[in-house]
Amino acid sequence: MSAVAVPACVHCGLPVPAGRGEFCCTGCEIVHAAIAEHGLEKFYALREQGAPAHTSGHSYAELDDPAFQRVHVQTGADGRCHSALYLEDLRCTACVWLVETTPRCVPGVSEVRVDVGRGRADVTWDPEVTSLAQVARHLDRIGHAAHPYRGLDRDRQRRREDRALLIKLGVAGAAVGNLMLLAIALYAGLFQGMSAADATFFRWASMLVAVPGLGYAATPMFRTALGALRARRLHLDLPLSIGIVAGLVWGTANVIRGVGEIYFDSLAMLVFLLLVARWIVLRHQRRASSAAELLLALTPSRARRVRGDVIEDVPIDAIVADDLVEVRAGETIPVDGMVAHGKSAIDAGLLTGESRPVDVLAGDLVNAGTVNLAAPITIRATAVGEQTRVGALVASIEALSTRKAPIERLVDRIAGRFVAIVTTVAALTFIGWSFVDVRLGAEHAMALLIVTCPCALALATPLAVTVALGRAARKGILIKGADALERLAAPGTMFVDKTGTLTEGRLAVASWLGDVDARPLAAAVEVGSAHPIARALAAMGTTHTATDIHEELGRGIRGTVVGRTVVVGSPAWVAAKARHDADGWVAEIVRRAETPIAVAVDGVIVAVAGLADPIRADARQAVDQLGELGWRVEILSGDDTRVAEAVGAQLGLPVDRCTGDVPPEIKLAIVEAEAGPVAMVGDGVNDAAAIAAATCGIAVSGAAEVAIEAADVYLREPSIAAIAQTASGARLTLATIRRSLRLSLAYNLTAGALAVSGVIHPLIAALLMPASSLTVLVSSLRSKAFK
Amino acid sequence: MTALYLVLPLALLVASCAVAAFVWTVRSGQLDDVDTPPRRILFDDDAQPVHREPSNVQALRR
Repeated sequence: MSAVAVPACVHCGLPVPAGRGEFCCTGCEIVHAAIAEHGLEKFYALREQGAPAHTSGHSYAELDDPAFQRVHVQTGADGRCHSALYLEDLRCTACVWLVETTPRCVPGVSEVRVDVGRGRADVTWDPEVTSLAQVARHLDRIGHAAHPYRGLDRDRQRRREDRALLIKLGVAGAAVGNLMLLAIALYAGLFQGMSAADATFFRWASMLVAVPGLGYAATPMFRTALGALRARRLHLDLPLSIGIVAGLVWGTANVIRGVGEIYFDSLAMLVFLLLVARWIVLRHQRRASSAAELLLALTPSRARRVRGDVIEDVPIDAIVADDLVEVRAGETIPVDGMVAHGKSAIDAGLLTGESRPVDVLAGDLVNAGTVNLAAPITIRATAVGEQTRVGALVASIEALSTRKAPIERLVDRIAGRFVAIVTTVAALTFIGWSFVDVRLGAEHAMALLIVTCPCALALATPLAVTVALGRAARKGILIKGADALERLAAPGTMFVDKTGTLTEGRLAVASWLGDVDARPLAAAVEVGSAHPIARALAAMGTTHTATDIHEELGRGIRGTVVGRTVVVGSPAWVAAKARHDADGWVAEIVRRAETPIAVAVDGVIVAVAGLADPIRADARQAVDQLGELGWRVEILSGDDTRVAEAVGAQLGLPVDRCTGDVPPEIKLAIVEAEAGPVAMVGDGVNDAAAIAAATCGIAVSGAAEVAIEAADVYLREPSIAAIAQTASGARLTLATIRRSLRLSLAYNLTAGALAVSGVIHPLIAALLMPASSLTVLVSSLRSKAFK
Repeated sequence: MTALYLVLPLALLVASCAVAAFVWTVRSGQLDDVDTPPRRILFDDDAQPVHREPSNVQALRR
């Protein structure tokens, strides 16, 4: 075969597999057509990075169901309807633009407003002209499959919390500004002299601004500190709260007494910066929609129930155990059950991660969410909805995600020691200075408590994390929050799914034993079929066309090419139609852990092809790099053990670290049983539960939406090398945090020393605090993570 | 300096009005979504709806 420059997909820019024309996949083809049809080419101009498009081809009929509409659709006074949809793959600016042009493309839609952080689209339409299902179909065609938005309650609650924090932030900001102005007046009075009356006036004004303002604005800190005290856990908000309360109380006392220093301006700056840090961390939390919401996406919402001679199309909730359900070829199976009638081949990729078809006959068990490939079958249902294997998996994912233990942060560990040291030193200072003058003792002790308030300490983590997350996002590594980085910093065991993560996730011809000239003949015969094996063979490329094609589903295909009869299929089936002495070849292919496909021309088997899922080019290097970082990499796959071991061998992993034939429930059990930090890398629904249970779950590009929601990190690039980069980035971020902590502690030490020796003054404190915060900021920007 | 006894309370009053305005802004939901508006500034007010027949789409393939 001649070497040709690999063409790039017109839509997403990724390489196009041979024989596929101008697009890398059907999704890209459909979306490109939709974009062109509506004149939306500006999408390509707005887009920064190409990504393959996914469409589902659903009819969304359930969105027009009156029962659904009663719950999810609101009708306005003018007769227009509103509803919220959750859209998949909504992550970039061009996507937002594309979705918001819907009113131009679908008549009857007045507005589509996107909330990109929550993946939410609010649709307003005129029910007389169009319907929600039609809008959803359009959105699906442009690459954003839609689901009913089921997070409205959760959103409402989050919104309340977010707004409360923002208001406190605003109040703190107003307080800072005004208190600083008042403080400047007082500082000016120091140098130039100020009448006692004026000084008192300013002090009272400061107090009246600070106490209500900061007392209100700092309540989130107080609440966390009290909660930590009650739970006997350490938290950085404890020393912070002590400092704030000490400052407010002591300052008020001094204002009333008329003597002593006040530190309201520094306190206000402290509270303001702390709230900014909280706000930053809150913004990091990506949309975490309930995994259970996505169950609807995995299994059909309607099914065809067979009652006697009548087949009726009913919603899935109407199906009960023992009902007979008919599933046609190409459809997703809606229930768990036993095949009552018919024989076919099933794509069980949802639960095994493998797209290799599995034959089923009457009496075999099938699962909801798998795809019926070959022929219609009738199934007697045993479980529906949340009782199906898939339903149970998704429910466990949700439970695991909400239960995820908050890790003990680095700063919290310091907090405990900090409180102890500061209070001890404060007590000693009080006692020491009391020998001279009790009032001085009190003054210096309180000053110590106030100026050593660890503002920069609290900023260290959020700043370093923000920098890291921003840089990582630009490299296509989407990290869900500050936690995720700390989770990944301590190395442990990393379980990696095989298909799609270490391998490319598609079948390709890996070996060809026999007559090489038969390759284009085999390719020609397979071109029309949609079967994954056929596509792999067709990708070899051919200039011939086949005629008289007969496909026997699940077995093979035969046709005529340039006057010769060509039969391609599983060795057993082909052997029945041709002379066979190819056993040696077949055995060799099986030994290589590949799937054998026999090719017979004019009644004689001339070749046996070995099909396998190719390993990603950078996988070996990534595995080595992870080893260097201290991670023990293991393969956990739903595919055959021999294949897992073969892949492991190519990556330098010993056999005891490669496990195959692992169903999703066992994957979860293995992850949960592992002691120490566990990272789980996967892309399929069958990995999602394990991903949710791991200390750090990583979803790789092309992952099912459920896996993405369950994971802490999502790698947009289809490259396992990104995992190694993420792990190293996490370690470097923690190093940056530690450096920032050391710097801020140095400032605290300076301020503390000045306070103990009685030399501290509000003016000095007012300079030290922003200086320490700025130092931490610069330290964070100099982080080497994700550079 | 007696002017100060008038001006300072007035200034604080103005500041509280600003805070009140901010609170109203937050409560009315304008700051609920701060991720999408920055992306929206890149959009122009575009032209009329365009409908091309799918058969004409071929001509657009580069």
